Amino acid sequence: MKGFDFVAPKTINEVLSTAKKSKKVKYIAGGTNFLPELRHQHDGPADLVIDLMRVNALRGVTVSKKTTSLGALTTITDLIENKDLNKNVPILAAMAKKFAGPMIRNRATIAGNIVDGGPAADAIPPLLALRAIVNLAGPRGKRTVPLDKFLLGYRKTAIKSGELITRISFPTPPKNHKWGYYKLARRNAMAITVVGVAVILETSGKTIKKASISLGSVNESPIRCYDAEKLLEGEKADLNIVQEASELCMEISSPIDDIRASAKYRKLMCEVLPRRLLCQALKIKMEK
Amino acid sequence: MPTTAKRTKSSASSKNKKSKATKFRLPKKYPISFNVNGEKVETETFAHTSLLYLLRDLGFTEVKNGCEAGDCGACTILLDNVAANACCILGVQADRREIETVKGIGTIDNLHPIQEKFIEHGAIQCGFCTPGMIVSAKELLDKNPKPTRDEIKAGIAGNLCRCTGYVKIIDAIEAASKRKPSKKGK
Repeated sequence: MKGFDFVAPKTINEVLSTAKKSKKVKYIAGGTNFLPELRHQHDGPADLVIDLMRVNALRGVTVSKKTTSLGALTTITDLIENKDLNKNVPILAAMAKKFAGPMIRNRATIAGNIVDGGPAADAIPPLLALRAIVNLAGPRGKRTVPLDKFLLGYRKTAIKSGELITRISFPTPPKNHKWGYYKLARRNAMAITVVGVAVILETSGKTIKKASISLGSVNESPIRCYDAEKLLEGEKADLNIVQEASELCMEISSPIDDIRASAKYRKLMCEVLPRRLLCQALKIKMEK
Repeated sequence: MPTTAKRTKSSASSKNKKSKATKFRLPKKYPISFNVNGEKVETETFAHTSLLYLLRDLGFTEVKNGCEAGDCGACTILLDNVAANACCILGVQADRREIETVKGIGTIDNLHPIQEKFIEHGAIQCGFCTPGMIVSAKELLDKNPKPTRDEIKAGIAGNLCRCTGYVKIIDAIEAASKRKPSKKGK
């Protein structure tokens, strides 16, 4: 394999000024995607690889009443162990516990999972449901992109050459929000998701005020189910409306056949799983 | 999934193929230093060499090479007291870091309770997964000194045993947790 140069700067500015010096730059953090891919890249991943693990500005989790902000280097283990997150955004820990295995969770970062942009990236569906915003820094300055606009297709994101994710932020859900997460996979650990579903709801009494539903592993990249959300919002929570919304989730999905599951089965699960999670979250009795 | 046939793309073999490598600009070597099991190691390495290859080339062959894709956990080490797959870290990223392998957890003369119980319970069949298993078990018991059987299963979820000797491994970790909370490490 063709080799590459390596630097490990300590500040974001240093990272960006170093990145300008080379035409083909790639960033590395946890390395849990970088190294397994490295072995198949005969031309090497880039001329220059910049290690972000020593940039402290990219670390740290803050939870305020209004916003939650996750540093790009927040590991999946951090999502399980951070007490503020556990209390305010429990869906992230629920996802993190299903994410690969303990050693991968210790190294894999939340920004890495997003920027890799894989269809089965487990961190994306809950963040989509939380309506997360991606904060980027690049040679042309800072910008923010909503996560649903950031994902463009199969392993394609809106990130530009030389840019890096600095933080992921989202409005902290209210204390009494309802949520659900399910990862359908063939094993309990080290599994690639067959269908991933995340649901976040805000209700007042029986009325659904705000709904977010997202699906992973059933499109080119994880998706939000806007139609189903729109249908639910402002309605009284009952089995009929949940059923209709779940069918809309199924309609928007376009899964593929692969070694883990058939497209037909995945499509079916895109109706079953949202229905199950919505019923559980809204305490509706599920009948068939 | 990667196959063993593709394993030739390593620094170890590139040394023997110098004539071919001259077609490219020869990769730069980076001087690095880190502590392995408390002993300082100074060396130099290519940027593309994984920590797994680097450690094995330096003689720390207790770090096993299983899948090189983060799936099997045979190369598990503690990096700054956090369990990690050495195959998923670049050697240069370990500069000035603290590394612990299974030999740092206990030696033949001075076994760690986990290692003792692995022997007592026969939790070793072919032995290939054992170094990684013990490092993972160490991290698990450091974080959670009295895990339930399900928590033990979740704790070693990243380590594969191809002999499928999981029951004895779980028994051993459970016995080690009942004996006494692990004293070494954090």
